[in-house]
Parts: sequence; C-alpha cells; structure tokens
Amino acid sequence: MIRLWCTQVLAIIRLEMKKTFFARRGLWVYLLAFAPLVLFVSHSIAIRHHRDQLARIARDHPISSAALRDIQVGMTCDEVTQKLGQPYSQRRWHRRDEHNEQIEQSHCRYTDGKTELYLFFDKGKLTEMHRSELDTLHQSLQIFAGVFQSYYLRLAVFFGCVGVFVNLFRGEMLDKSLHLYLLTPTRREVLLAGKYAAGLLATVVIFTSSTALQWLALLGQFNPTAVANFLASTGWDQFSSYLAVTALACVGYGSVFLAVGLLFRNPIIPIAVVLLWEGVNPFLPAALRKISMIYYLQSLCPMSAAPGQDVPPLVRLLISPVQPATRSVAVLSIVILTGVVLVAAARLSRRMEINYSDDTQTICS
Amino acid sequence: MNENRIILDDVSRFYGEVLGVNKVTLSIPPGITSLVGPNGSGKTTLMNLITGLVRPSRGRISVLGVAPSQPQRLFRFVGYSTQFDAFPKGLTGSQFIYAFLRLSGRPASECRELTTRAIAQVGLIEAAERKVAAYSKGMRQRIRLAQAIAHDPRVLILDEPLNGLDPLVRAETIALFKRYAAEGRHIVVSSHVLHEVDMISDQVVLMSGGYIVAEGQIRGVRSEIQDQRPMQFLIRCRQPHLLASKAFEQDHVVEARLLPEGEVGLPAAELCGWGPGVLIKTRDADAFCRILNRLALGGIDIEGVVPADDNVHSVYEYLIGGEEANQ
Repeated sequence: MIRLWCTQVLAIIRLEMKKTFFARRGLWVYLLAFAPLVLFVSHSIAIRHHRDQLARIARDHPISSAALRDIQVGMTCDEVTQKLGQPYSQRRWHRRDEHNEQIEQSHCRYTDGKTELYLFFDKGKLTEMHRSELDTLHQSLQIFAGVFQSYYLRLAVFFGCVGVFVNLFRGEMLDKSLHLYLLTPTRREVLLAGKYAAGLLATVVIFTSSTALQWLALLGQFNPTAVANFLASTGWDQFSSYLAVTALACVGYGSVFLAVGLLFRNPIIPIAVVLLWEGVNPFLPAALRKISMIYYLQSLCPMSAAPGQDVPPLVRLLISPVQPATRSVAVLSIVILTGVVLVAAARLSRRMEINYSDDTQTICS
Repeated sequence: MNENRIILDDVSRFYGEVLGVNKVTLSIPPGITSLVGPNGSGKTTLMNLITGLVRPSRGRISVLGVAPSQPQRLFRFVGYSTQFDAFPKGLTGSQFIYAFLRLSGRPASECRELTTRAIAQVGLIEAAERKVAAYSKGMRQRIRLAQAIAHDPRVLILDEPLNGLDPLVRAETIALFKRYAAEGRHIVVSSHVLHEVDMISDQVVLMSGGYIVAEGQIRGVRSEIQDQRPMQFLIRCRQPHLLASKAFEQDHVVEARLLPEGEVGLPAAELCGWGPGVLIKTRDADAFCRILNRLALGGIDIEGVVPADDNVHSVYEYLIGGEEANQ
C-alpha cells in the first residue's frame, strides 16, 4: 500500500511540476526569492570596485594607518599635510563672512586602502572629520542576517509559499481542472500529500538556491583566503543553517497555505490574518509568541541580527527574538505544527466537493 | 444483486436552499441508461453524486457495492467523462491520458499501452502528440472520453458525451457504447438529444426539477402513462373509413382520425412514404393490437402500423412538457 501511495505521490509531483516551477502566474515568486540576490550581487560588485579603487590610491599615495589615526579636529591644514602628505582628492573654495571678508574653506580625502578619511577645513583649521571603513566579513554577515530575518523569511518566503501552495488547490479550482484528480483511484489524503510534496519541492529549490546564491554573492567581495578561513571555522555551519531555516520555512508556511487554499474560497483574508499574526509576534506575550512559525525560524538562525544604532526600534524588534527557543525545540515545534495542519487538511480533503453548476466551481464544506 | 447495480437510495442533494436532486431512488442495471431532462433538472448532479464529486445531503449511494466516498476503490472500475472543458496546461493528448493513468499506480509501460489503446478507440491517434489546447471542441470531447475509458472501466458515466461530435464520430461513439453495453458494462449517459437517447438506450431516467419523473425501458414507461395519455398508432390501409369505424366500436379507443395522403403535424419520419391512413388513440395498446389482427384477418388490407408516440420524445413531452422537450 505504501508503495502504491509513493507511486501516486510521484505521479502527482510530475503533473504539478510544470505548474509550480514554470507557471506564468508564479513569476513573481521568483522575483521575491531573487530580489535580495540582486541586492547582494550589486553590493558586492560595488564594494569590490570601491576596495580596488582605494587600494590603487593607497599605492599611489601611501599613508600609514597609524598616521591616519593621529589626525585630530583642530589641527591646521599644514599640520595635516605634514603628517599625511598631499590628499588624493581636494577641493577648495572661498566664501565671504558677515564682515565681507574672504574665507578659505577646503575638503580633502585620504586613505590607507582600508579606511577613508574625509576632512573639512575652515580658515585653514580642521573642523570636521569623518572616518569610513570598508565592511568586514563579520559586518557583512550581520547585514545578511538582518536581511534574511526581516525581509527574506517574513516576506519573500512567506509570500512565495502563498503563491505556490495556495494555488495547488485554489488554482485548480479556478482553472476548473481539480475534478481530474478527484476522478482517479487516489485517496484524497494521498492527493493532498502529493500536492504538498510538489509545492515543497518547488519552494525549497527556489528559495534555498536563492539563499545559497546570496551567501555566495556576500562572500564574493572578500579576499578568498579570508573566506576560506571563515568557512573552515564556522562558515559552513552557518551556511547550512541558513539553508535549513529556509527549507523549514517552506515546510511550515507551505502546510498553512495549502490548508488555506483548500478551505477558503477567498484566501486573501486568512493570508492577511497569518501575516498579521507573524508580524505582531515580537509584541506578543511570551506564551503566544511561541504559536507562530517566525519565532522558531528566527530561533534557528545561526546569527542573531544585532542591529546597529541607526536601525529603528520597530525593525530591531522584528529581526531578533527576545528569548530564542533551543534548536531541537524549534525544529520539533515546526514539524509538529506542520503535521497538525496537514492532518487537519487531509481530514477536510475527504469532504472536498466539486460543484459544476456553481460559478466558483468548487466548494469545500 | 447490489454488486452488479448502481444503487441510489432516497438520495437528496441541496445547495443551500437550492435543490439539486430530491428523493432519488434508482437501481441501474448493466446496459445503457440515459438520464434525460432539461437544463437544471439534476442530471449532472446525479452523475456527480454517483462519482463522489458531490456528497448527498441525505440517502445512500453504492456503485457495484462500493461507496463513492472511497475513490481509491471506485475509480478502479468507474470512468467519468464530465462536461467540463478544462485540461492541465501544456499537455498533449497522450500526455494527458498517460499522466492521469499514472495516478492509479500502474507501471509506466502498462499506462503507455492503455493510453495508446484509449486514444485509438476515440480515433485521435494522429492528434495524440498535439497540445490539448489546440484541439477542436469535438477533439476535446473525444480526449475526455478517452480518459474515461482508458482504464477499461466496468462503469462509464458520460455527461453529454456526444456534444460537439461530427456525425461520423458520433456514430462510432454510439457503436462503442453499444459494444460496452453488450459486454455487460454499465453506461450512464446524460443527454437532451432525444432521438439519440431513443436510439442507444436500454432504459431511461426522465428528470425534471431535481426529481425523477419516470424510469425504466421506454416502452414500459409509455404503457404506464397510457391512462392519462392514450397511445397513438398510425395505420396505413386501403379502407381507412372502415378501419376507423371498426376501431371506434372498441371501448378503449378514444379517437380515430382519417389521415389524407401527406398529412402534416406528425413526425416527418413516421409519415415518410405513407398514403392515406388512420390515426388511432387507445387506452389499451395490447387490446388494440389484438383487434387489429382480427380486422386484418377479416379482410381489411393493412399495409403498416407504427406506434406514433412510443418514443422518448413523446413520453418526455407528456411527462415534462412540450417546451422543455424541445430544448
């Protein structure tokens, strides 16, 4: 019997493959999944270009890092030139003060190849100074963690699963082709399992491949030796954790949206409710917070996205659970939640009906 | 007994306040059974109930002993060709049949074989590798039929299966149904093309407004209503006046009308080639036939006798109404 069910599930996956991977109405799922990749690739290209530029300048205007650190506000232009030499970029201009006297102002930039210093002189004295450092690997990983938790999990995977899983039944209902499945010697539960497996295969492939490519793009801007060292220490663990979290998000959200597509004629309202519930999760009491996917998914993320000072408090709340669950509890909770939803959906699928005379064609009661 | 019949026992189905079918009790034997009724009479609902696509609000259904709530058993021997003109996108005719056959768990080689056979049976071999989306209406009807028969079912449920078919394919399809019926299979066909129903059916189920108004072999249904609707016979003979007066002497004969040559107002097929004759209406067809034999032996030269309203169209018209019968 198990063998028969497996054969049927495989047959359903084969039938669904085109719809889940190549449907025209599913193109936006790819956009959601690969939008952060575009972001990371462009950032990586820009950073590499900038780093090369600074290195070239540092070769042409060699300055020691110690000398750069010695520069203080209040120094004169001559003192700075004495310590650092001529800047690689300089701009001078004049303005008149309240007594109609001409005042000289200037702006110059120095670099040691890693840090860039912006200096502003007024009447020959250094009045303002900005130090800009190139991202370190750790900083970049923090940025990735932030994007992954605030955008990727909460929006991209969430809506991607909406797009794929809701359509598994609802799409067939709209296309008026669901009856073709119901007229085969297949248990409704097996049909549901097959459709879920097909949706899962599609979302896991799409979203984990995007996660992997984002990671590659992120590391691509750094020195290969530094990257190799990082991967050898904790890098691979982090990488596989991100892939696992992405896959688990598809497992959990997929089951919820499969059930939504099966149960509701208009899935928009339940989807909005789930989105709201997942969104307000950080503001809920600790007990309620645990009845959500995002809490466990964030708990499994390998790096808590410690936001910088400039990140608004609301976003800060969204990207880091206060008291994360342990890894085993988190995985088990997602699996149990998924199991409960799928079993309930399977029971409901037995009562699924098709009504040809109705405009909406299919009802579930 | 139940193991070889489709049984509906006091089955009702309501869509909210709207009636689908009401208090349907049927026992469908092997052979071709036609469901006849106007749009909205409940034919499709009845078929959907038999195949489990909708569940009854009340009552019990069994198809050769299997409940429709067990699709894993039911569709091993049931094929259903719906009226629904929808197919998975991007599939060719043979891919469509093959993909859904694979859902039964059969090995790939067997599915390929069954696909080829089913496509050949509906005469779509040449179009088998074309996308279904590019098929004409008639071809889509045939590919749906191919899907329904692909697994060689013992029970075939067909919703308006002859719609959109050209005359040649229509004849071939009817021959296929007859062959299946001769093999002892159950063929349940819905139709509102009454002359086709007349031609192919072993029994009919007349439906109106969700109710079954009559069922059985068409002749039996006709004789059941002969008290309210006397049966009509067209008799061609050389002495129509004499025949009319002799017939009218019988108590059960309620009308005898002389028909001059070329009389109109009766079905053209029955008048074709007829000379003068008599139209007799009787409440007892059997007694009238006996009298007719006696009159013939007594010297009246009878050239032909045809029952004028012993067909689905007339029965339907009597039971459901002229307007609906003409739909």
